[in-house]
Amino acid sequence: MRQKTRTKFIEYAITIWVVITLNFLLPRLIPGDPFLILTSQDAEDEEIVLSEEQREFLFQYYGLDQPVYKQYFIYLRELVRGNMGFSVYYKQPVSQIVMHRLPWTIFMVLSAVFLSTLIGTILGCLSAWHREKWVDKSLFLFMIIFSEIPSFLLGLILLFVFAAGLGLFPLAGAVTHFADFQSGWEKIWDVIHHAFLPVTALTISHLGGTYLLGRNSMTTVLEKDYLRTAWAKGLPKKRVIFRHALKNALLPIVTRVFLSLGSLVGGAILVENVFSYPGLGTLMRESVRVQDYPVIQGIFLVVTICVLVANFFADVVYRKIDPRVSS
Amino acid sequence: MSSLADLIDTRKDTAITSATSGLVVKAQDFLQGTSKIIRSFSLLGKLGLAVILFFVILAVFAPYVSVHPYNLSSGAPLMPPGGEHFLGTDDLGIDIWAQLCRGAKISLIVGLGTALLAGLGGGLIGIVSGYVGGILDKFLMRLIDIMLVIPDFPVMILLAAFLGPRLINIILVLALFSWVSSARIARSQILMLKEKTYIKSAELYGAGTWYLMRKHFLPEIFPLIAVQMIRLTGRAIISEAGLSFLGLGDPTSKSWGLTIHYATSFRGIYFTEFWKWWLLYPWLFLTLMVTSLAFVSRELEQFADPRVKK
Repeated sequence: MRQKTRTKFIEYAITIWVVITLNFLLPRLIPGDPFLILTSQDAEDEEIVLSEEQREFLFQYYGLDQPVYKQYFIYLRELVRGNMGFSVYYKQPVSQIVMHRLPWTIFMVLSAVFLSTLIGTILGCLSAWHREKWVDKSLFLFMIIFSEIPSFLLGLILLFVFAAGLGLFPLAGAVTHFADFQSGWEKIWDVIHHAFLPVTALTISHLGGTYLLGRNSMTTVLEKDYLRTAWAKGLPKKRVIFRHALKNALLPIVTRVFLSLGSLVGGAILVENVFSYPGLGTLMRESVRVQDYPVIQGIFLVVTICVLVANFFADVVYRKIDPRVSS
Repeated sequence: MSSLADLIDTRKDTAITSATSGLVVKAQDFLQGTSKIIRSFSLLGKLGLAVILFFVILAVFAPYVSVHPYNLSSGAPLMPPGGEHFLGTDDLGIDIWAQLCRGAKISLIVGLGTALLAGLGGGLIGIVSGYVGGILDKFLMRLIDIMLVIPDFPVMILLAAFLGPRLINIILVLALFSWVSSARIARSQILMLKEKTYIKSAELYGAGTWYLMRKHFLPEIFPLIAVQMIRLTGRAIISEAGLSFLGLGDPTSKSWGLTIHYATSFRGIYFTEFWKWWLLYPWLFLTLMVTSLAFVSRELEQFADPRVKK
């Protein structure tokens, strides 16, 4: 068990190292001069040619005159210190900007994970218990249709119908700006009101997978011998369903929750842009628009490492709760 | 003597006729098989197939189906649907229907391009990895493990941002992050097939790698990869739309995602009626295409892999 956790840890460490190295190498593999973009603001602008001394100064200043391996070590050292570079556009350290936006993204992703897992599991179990009846059939149809629509398309239609058309929800943002809240509750309500549509879009498009998994897993569990034993013993229905069936049916869902984080984050980046939610996704679009590469790289690094760390913990937790895997 | 010549002659004849008739029979088998598969589709599968066919026709005959150019202004800006521009025009007066026809083509190019590259490339990697084994297999498996856990969309954004917005770059980036699934499928199939007795006996009779590949491995693996490729087509179209929506698409390509990007970037879009044609139709096309592809691949899965049942 210890041994396995350690190998897993090493695997994830290698993956993170690959990601960091990719992040380091990518801008250096692309042809071009980094100071050309810095000096000319627009593509149509005339390129401002730096004098030889100015160029040399800039190269020295950014450490680009060093050999690549030295640059690499400097990069790693600075990364460990939490320095991800300086934003060209926002004129702020990248880590500061990213950390400022990260909580909103985490809030959205975690709420969507929580809600889709909860609702998906309940509906999946419901379907399995009423297999081949109309409840199961209509749920199944609904789920396979909605699970295939990508979350940002779902978000777009929700935005235009419920926010722009009916005016039930705000069009953009995460809080009402310059609002004077009477109490903490009012503020929380405001945050929920803003987050409702984006989280709904993410949840619905994510629901189908959990539902299908829950339905399948519950169906297999219901056919197991130990469940027949439980019924035969004359246990009450509640006890059979919650103690015997649900506990075993939940296992595959737990792994899915964490392993699907990656795709969920991808969806969140797009959904945030639909709703102009002030998370990392909108930041990414803004920095893509102004070609602020340090910020794009910083977001990429933070998002990837968060997902990888979550996956690692999922592995550990899964082995803890399912004794069959560790033995 | 003459009888022998006759015999050879007739043999040649029968060989030729059997070859041609074999071809005819094969074609007939194929048609019958296809129609049988289609007939056994559920209602959703049939609908999905019809939608995909519609979009393929739209993409192929795009210049004939739409009268107006997709990249030039052909009327007043922001005209509502009806009359000459029956899906309206955008803020530059470009016909929406023409843009959508063009978008169908771009979607198909991106989807099929990515699916072919990733499906065939990934399949090949999987076959080699499974068949050769050893260090190469271990290395490839580690690589696949790494690719699996890295969230792909952020990497795609990063790569697309660095490589620049060209259609071919987008296809390459998408393919780079889609080959893993086909490689895993192909590898696991090869590992299973390698242990089968009929493969073992073929090897004992001196069948070479290439012969085994052509006669046994490819026919077994191809259907699975084909289904996977349909799925990849859908995913590639979604990813392209997502990248275009973020403003990372090829600005000359006029894909559905790009039309959505322009529509949502328009300042007054939330407070006017314009979204009812400018945004709604590309949205509808994209959603229909993506869900249809998913339904068809879901249906086909049952034929390619008998173990997968409802």
